[in-house]
Amino acid sequence: MVMQTINKIISANEKINDVLMNQSGLLDVVVYENASYDLNLLQAGQSLKVKVSLLGQNACCTLRTVYLSGTDADNKIEFEVIHAVEQTNSKQEIKGVAAGFGKADFYGVIRMPHGSQKCEGSQSHKALLLSDNACIKCTPELEIYADDVKCAHGSSIGTLDETYLFYLMSRGIDETTARQMLIKAFLLSDMPQAFETEIDKWMEANE
Amino acid sequence: MKNLLEIKNLNACVGEKQILKDFSFEIEPGKVYAIMGPNGSGKSTLSNVIAGNPVYSVTSGKMLFKGKDLSKMTPDVRANEGIFLGFQYPIEIPGISYAQFLKQALTSKMKYLGQKPLDAVAYIKRLKVRAQALGVTDEMLKRPVNVGFSGGEKKRMETLQMAFLEPDFCILDEMDSGLDVDALKIVADGVNLMREENRSFLLITHYERLLDLIEPDVIYIMVDGHIVEKGDKSLARKLEENGYADYK
Ligand SMILES: Nc1ncnc2c1ncn2[C@@H]1O[C@H](COP(=O)(O)OP(=O)(O)OP(=O)(O)O)[C@@H](O)[C@H]1O
Ligand SMILES: [Mg+2]
Repeated sequence: MVMQTINKIISANEKINDVLMNQSGLLDVVVYENASYDLNLLQAGQSLKVKVSLLGQNACCTLRTVYLSGTDADNKIEFEVIHAVEQTNSKQEIKGVAAGFGKADFYGVIRMPHGSQKCEGSQSHKALLLSDNACIKCTPELEIYADDVKCAHGSSIGTLDETYLFYLMSRGIDETTARQMLIKAFLLSDMPQAFETEIDKWMEANE
Repeated sequence: MKNLLEIKNLNACVGEKQILKDFSFEIEPGKVYAIMGPNGSGKSTLSNVIAGNPVYSVTSGKMLFKGKDLSKMTPDVRANEGIFLGFQYPIEIPGISYAQFLKQALTSKMKYLGQKPLDAVAYIKRLKVRAQALGVTDEMLKRPVNVGFSGGEKKRMETLQMAFLEPDFCILDEMDSGLDVDALKIVADGVNLMREENRSFLLITHYERLLDLIEPDVIYIMVDGHIVEKGDKSLARKLEENGYADYK
C-alpha cells in the first residue's frame, strides 16, 4: 500500500469542513488563529495518522470519526492534537465497531505544552464489539505541561445491549434487522448522516 | 372453543431462581383476562416468558399459541404470530425514532404474513389515526424510542404500538401505573375499541380501577409463581377489601 501524506493549511479565519472516507498514511493539518478545522472521517480497514497543530489563538478542531473493522479489515487510527499556543480548542469524537475477526487500534494524544494556557481539549471513544473474536484497543494519552487548561477523555467498549435487542424483536423485527438498526443508531448519533450508505454497505457484508 | 393460548405446568427461572412454578392457564379468543397478584409473584416474568425474553429460561412445561409450540419461536416470530407485550417498564432506545421503529415493525410483520408492505400514504394514515386517538403528537413520534418520555407517556406509547400492530393477544403489564386519570380513560377506551372476537387481552394490574374501565371476563389470581384462583370480576372487589392474606 502506498503511504501518502496529505498536508492541509487552514489559514487565519478560515473554516474548513472535511468529509473523508477510507484514508491511509498521514493527514497533517495546521490551523492558524481564529480558524477551525472539522474533520468527518469514516475508516473501514486502513491505517491512518491524523496530526493537527493548533498554531494560532482561538484555533480549533473537531475530529469526528467512525471506524468499521471486519475480518481482514483492521483499522489503525492515530490522532495527535497539539495545542501549540494558548486559547485553542480541540475535540475528538470516535465511534467504532468490530465484527468477525476484525481488530481496531485507536491511539489518541492531546499535547498541551508550556504556554498553552486556557486551552480545552477532549476525547471521547465509544465502541462496540459485535463478535466474540473481534478486538478493540483504545489508548488515550494526555501530555500536559500547562496548569490552566481543561482536558478530558473517556472510553467505553461494550457489546450490543441485549435489552434493546429484545425490545425490538418483541415487536416483530428479526434479529439481523434489529442488530443493524441498533448498530446504525449507535454509530450515527452525533455523526454525519453522510456515512449512512457506507455503514449500510458494511453491515450487509459483515453482520 | 379452542384456546388462543394454553400454558401447562410451566416452570421458568432467572439464573438459579425459579419464578414460575407449575404455572397453568388458558386464554380463549375474544376474552379479556386480568391477572392480579402480590409484588414479586411472577406476573411480569410470565409475560416476558410468553414474549420470549431470553433472560428467562423455561425448564419444563408447554406453551401453545394458536396450537403452535411457542418454545421453538424467537421473540420476533412470536410477535408476528400475534403476541404483544406492553411492558411494565418500557426501555429507552437512543438513536431510533418512533416513526422508524414502528414502520420497521409493521414492515416485518407484513413480510412475515406474506403481505405487501403498506405504501407511504397508507402507513402514515394508519399511524396518524391511532396516534390521534391516544393523544400522541407528531413530535413524540419523531423522538427516539421512549428517550426522555415521562412514565405516563411511555405507557401511552406502548398502547400505540399495540393499536398500530393489531396483535391477537395483548398483554398489558401494569399499563395503569403512571397514567393520570384522563390518560387512563383514553388508553382504556383505546383497548375497548380493539376488543373483538378473535383478539384477547391479559391485563396485569394491582387496581380494581382499571377493571372498572376495561371489564374483564375472567380474573386470575397469581401467588408465588402460579394461579391460585380463577373467578369473575367480583374477585377484584374482594381483593380490594381483603388483600392477599387468604392466599398465603
Ligand atoms: N431479571 C431478573 N433478575 C433477577 N430476578 C428477577 C428478574 N426478573 C424477575 N426476578 C425476580 O422474580 C420475582 C418475580 O418478579 P416479577 O417481576 O415477575 O414479579 P411481578 O409479579 O411482576 O411483581 P410486581 O407486581 O411488583 O410487578 C421477583 O422476586 C423478582 O425479583
Ligand atoms: Mg411486574
